[in-house]
Amino acid sequence: MKRSVASYTAKTGYFEDFETGARMRHARRATISEGESHLLTKLVMNTADGHFNADKFPQGSPFPNQLVFGLVTGSMVIGLATQDTAEQALAETALDALRFLSPVVPGDTLTAYTEVLEVRDADREDAGFVRFKHWGVKQDQTVVFEGEREVLLKRRSHWVNR
Amino acid sequence: MAHPDFSEFPLVPKGNQFEDFEEGQVFEHHWGRTLTESDAILFSTLALRFTPLYFNREYARAHDHPDLVVDPLLALCTVVGLSVEDLSEAGGPFLGINRIEFHRPVHPGDTLNARSNVVSARTSEKRPQFGIVTWRTEGRNQDEELVLSYERTNLVQRRRNR
Repeated sequence: MKRSVASYTAKTGYFEDFETGARMRHARRATISEGESHLLTKLVMNTADGHFNADKFPQGSPFPNQLVFGLVTGSMVIGLATQDTAEQALAETALDALRFLSPVVPGDTLTAYTEVLEVRDADREDAGFVRFKHWGVKQDQTVVFEGEREVLLKRRSHWVNR
Repeated sequence: MAHPDFSEFPLVPKGNQFEDFEEGQVFEHHWGRTLTESDAILFSTLALRFTPLYFNREYARAHDHPDLVVDPLLALCTVVGLSVEDLSEAGGPFLGINRIEFHRPVHPGDTLNARSNVVSARTSEKRPQFGIVTWRTEGRNQDEELVLSYERTNLVQRRRNR
């Protein structure tokens, strides 16, 4: 017998489970390694060698070498928050106000925090939109990234038994 | 045999500077990029994007997709990546991205192209060596359908000796 769709995901994380103002500190943290920073930057065709050239700026320069591409940082922060915010997603529909607030370099460790900004109906009865704000904080507590994100989430009422 | 004097080799420059941008200018960015299944799964797993649509084909098919859904963050990173040489490779901090909309899903085998127009280009009083440029960028698939769009703002280096 084929597994049910709902058996692939947790029993939580449906649209009904989110309330405006709810806050989350996500359990898993991630250190961005030099290898994955280079790999992801090149995978997505970002040609700026400041992201993958350790000898770009001389010692003592105010610019850090191997600065992690901002969207790699952003993707990792949103990734750390994804199981708790989009395991039941039908689609991720929008991002807004992404800000890269402080440099991240290989070896930095990111923690993700999330607040629910808004919960609203969609134009389909089996799902609704949840709007989140995410923050990424590195090991010295500097906020390195923030951004808003909108996800179309399944309603438990329609999907939990499928 | 002696090596040539490499300091005499002329640099092949890359990227544009502030003076190269004027409002309304359009860039059709180079190369395009076909996103494969391995790209999609590599990215979504490295970035901890635990939404099964992005790495379980059977789950995605059960949600009326023809195949996996390419992680929209991979599509976004790729469209930004394709635009880097024209827009931001010459240097200057990435300030932010606003109004990112994901208009339709991307599936393995789809080819993304990127195109930008200059929304505004102004000088910075605080940092005279930089200008502030905002572009609107669109990512389209092989059928010219709009996949994603956003507005991005960077500090862009001004030419020296002016």
